[in-house]
Amino acid sequence: MKYILMMMGKKSDFDGYAKWSKEDLQANVAFMRAFSKELKETGVFVSTEGLGWPSEAKLIRAGKDGEPVTDGVFPESKEFLAGYWIIDVESPEQAYKIAARASRAPGAGAKAANMPIEVRRVLSSHADLGL
Amino acid sequence: MKYILLMSSTATGVQGYHAQSKQDIEAHMAILHRINKDLSESGEFVATQGLTGPQEAKVVRGEKNGLPVTDGIFPESKEFLLGYWIVDVSNAERAYAIAGRISAASMNIPIEVRQFATYEATSR
Repeated sequence: MKYILMMMGKKSDFDGYAKWSKEDLQANVAFMRAFSKELKETGVFVSTEGLGWPSEAKLIRAGKDGEPVTDGVFPESKEFLAGYWIIDVESPEQAYKIAARASRAPGAGAKAANMPIEVRRVLSSHADLGL
Repeated sequence: MKYILLMSSTATGVQGYHAQSKQDIEAHMAILHRINKDLSESGEFVATQGLTGPQEAKVVRGEKNGLPVTDGIFPESKEFLLGYWIVDVSNAERAYAIAGRISAASMNIPIEVRQFATYEATSR
């Protein structure tokens, strides 16, 4: 079963992250690298990506003629995807355990960030939606 | 340049989608398949994935002892990721054009477009 583990944050969370000390950032990156390596070694790794800053995010709708209409204004409460992991595991419990590890990644002041990780099962086929 | 196009909606929005007729949903799926095919043919396709419904979503935090704490209660206003496309395109405008096409095919739902982080993008 494939699951996506999503790190989400508000604009203010990203602003806070940008202010971390170099040492804290390096510790976090080192954790993320070791974490990915471990996921690969245990055979559950599918993919991982980090996204650019929310300040670069755009919202697109189609105009009357199908042309893209771009908007870059989001409410303060908007949750932005910071990055994700896709894993292939035996059970949801295994996905939650791995998400808990990601949640404990080191944050500012070398303390565990304890960030919430949203866990969602990905569709293997459209039939999974039960429509 | 790689971009991710994110389609999100609230739980209410997802229920509205599911309330459509089978034919309407099939027609929508057919257009999305067509868009995927076009992206493959133009060499811009990287990946696409749909997610299961918000009712299965969990938020997990790690406790000090490393045990996962799960929560499945979300605010009504919470936007859930429904699915995404990853495209490799020559510029942002092309990513916006593809997002516009997906939006037009999908009841004008807004599509969030984000570039993947690169060393340059993250070390502003």
